[in-house]
Amino acid sequence: MSKPNYDLEHHVKKATGIGDPQCFKDEAGEAKFKVGDKVRVKDLPDVFYTRTQAYTRGATAIVAELVYESPPAEDEAWDNCDNPEWFYSLIFRQKDLWPEYPDTFAGDTLETELPERWLESA
Amino acid sequence: MSKNHKAAPMVDEVSEFEILELAVRELAIEKGLFTAEDHQQWTEYMHTLGPLPAARLVAKAWLDPEYKKLCVKDGVKASLEVGIDWVNQMPTKFGTPSDYCNLRVLEDTPKLKHVVVCTLCSCYPRPILGQSPEWYRTPNYRRRLVRWPRQVLAEFGLQLPEDVEVRVEDSNQKSRFIVLPVRPEGTEGWSEDQLTEIVTRDCLIGVAMPKPGKTANDVRHIRPAVNPYGH
Amino acid sequence: MVEINPEKIELDEEMARRNLDKSSVSVLEEIKYEGRVWKDLSKKYGVDNPDPPWKVTLEATCDVLSEVACALPALERRWEEDELSEDHYADVPFPERQLLALAHSMIRRDLIDEDELKAKMKEVDKRLNMV
Repeated sequence: MSKPNYDLEHHVKKATGIGDPQCFKDEAGEAKFKVGDKVRVKDLPDVFYTRTQAYTRGATAIVAELVYESPPAEDEAWDNCDNPEWFYSLIFRQKDLWPEYPDTFAGDTLETELPERWLESA
Repeated sequence: MSKNHKAAPMVDEVSEFEILELAVRELAIEKGLFTAEDHQQWTEYMHTLGPLPAARLVAKAWLDPEYKKLCVKDGVKASLEVGIDWVNQMPTKFGTPSDYCNLRVLEDTPKLKHVVVCTLCSCYPRPILGQSPEWYRTPNYRRRLVRWPRQVLAEFGLQLPEDVEVRVEDSNQKSRFIVLPVRPEGTEGWSEDQLTEIVTRDCLIGVAMPKPGKTANDVRHIRPAVNPYGH
Repeated sequence: MVEINPEKIELDEEMARRNLDKSSVSVLEEIKYEGRVWKDLSKKYGVDNPDPPWKVTLEATCDVLSEVACALPALERRWEEDELSEDHYADVPFPERQLLALAHSMIRRDLIDEDELKAKMKEVDKRLNMV
């Protein structure tokens, strides 16, 4: 697998004075999911630069917030900033992530952010 | 009056590590990977970083419900009020590398305790909190906190009742997080400065809760070396 | 509910897929064994500062290599640091461990080579120890 080719120039021009991820605002179009939706994390084929944790694959979560628009890490690493997506903050029940999580603490949760492409309706 | 004051002690030898650090840096500059000016700029910026702005953000939020709402709604805007500009203060002018510009302030309640980790690599809100502690970066913390949060918190001396929801925040993308803990009892009538003092870095990560009189982080012992070198 | 295989959760799996050269680097091994770590030096001289003065410059080097040079992305460097911290540099304290891992990652990627590093270290040593 060849090394990613970073184009710092492009990013510098786009984000200077504005910030990242702010510089991608309004570029992702309509969000597929809204706060309160139940979603499942797809188990897409693994790519080196994925930031979707192994432990989330196949698990369901509730959308807590639409946090920002940005190219997903998988694209950004290869200098592909063409397709920003909505990023969602998702809340999982710990009992849905870990088989041995005790019932006593069934209320415990885990929150993490994932881009739209990794999610489907549940 | 005696003029006999001792100068602060200094390490008077040059270690191999000090030499290695400088050698690596100079080679990188010679090869054009970066310039001495770039490096200098970053070093100067990093010297300015520490946990006080985040502590002050929490103290202000405790004293002002409207500011607290702002913290939760827009962490980047709230940071400006404690002197931290996530976008423009950084050498790049678009956010620091690997810190980005999306601070999210996690508000604890009596029934909800947040604790932050980055399982992938140890991302941390450096612009407002300074450099991360060693234990935060270890695979030991990163792998265990997501799966056994209460056990790990207990190791930090924090035990929470069953009816409190422990929420682990895995900081895996562009947001960076600080915890806004519940204001402890015994702080009625305190000033912003007094409150700032008890919000330690560990409270802001979520592994400790603020207490009157406790102004320092606990020393956390990482597993000691079996065969330590240099001894 | 899809059954989550606990084995999949280990970060090791992500790193194993990367086929990294596992061999040690001799100049770094030497430093590992003979280097005086800050923990010991600060104790010896009664210095309170928990960190060596070069820690901040090391962090800056890591950042500029990633974002300015685009030569060693932060995520890769951290994963290698984790891996190297589990084998070669397991018993080295932090931040010496981070420094050794950085040098190791740079050598692996041919950003610097061992002989150059040895020569540069000799030069720096001479310069810093000139009285």
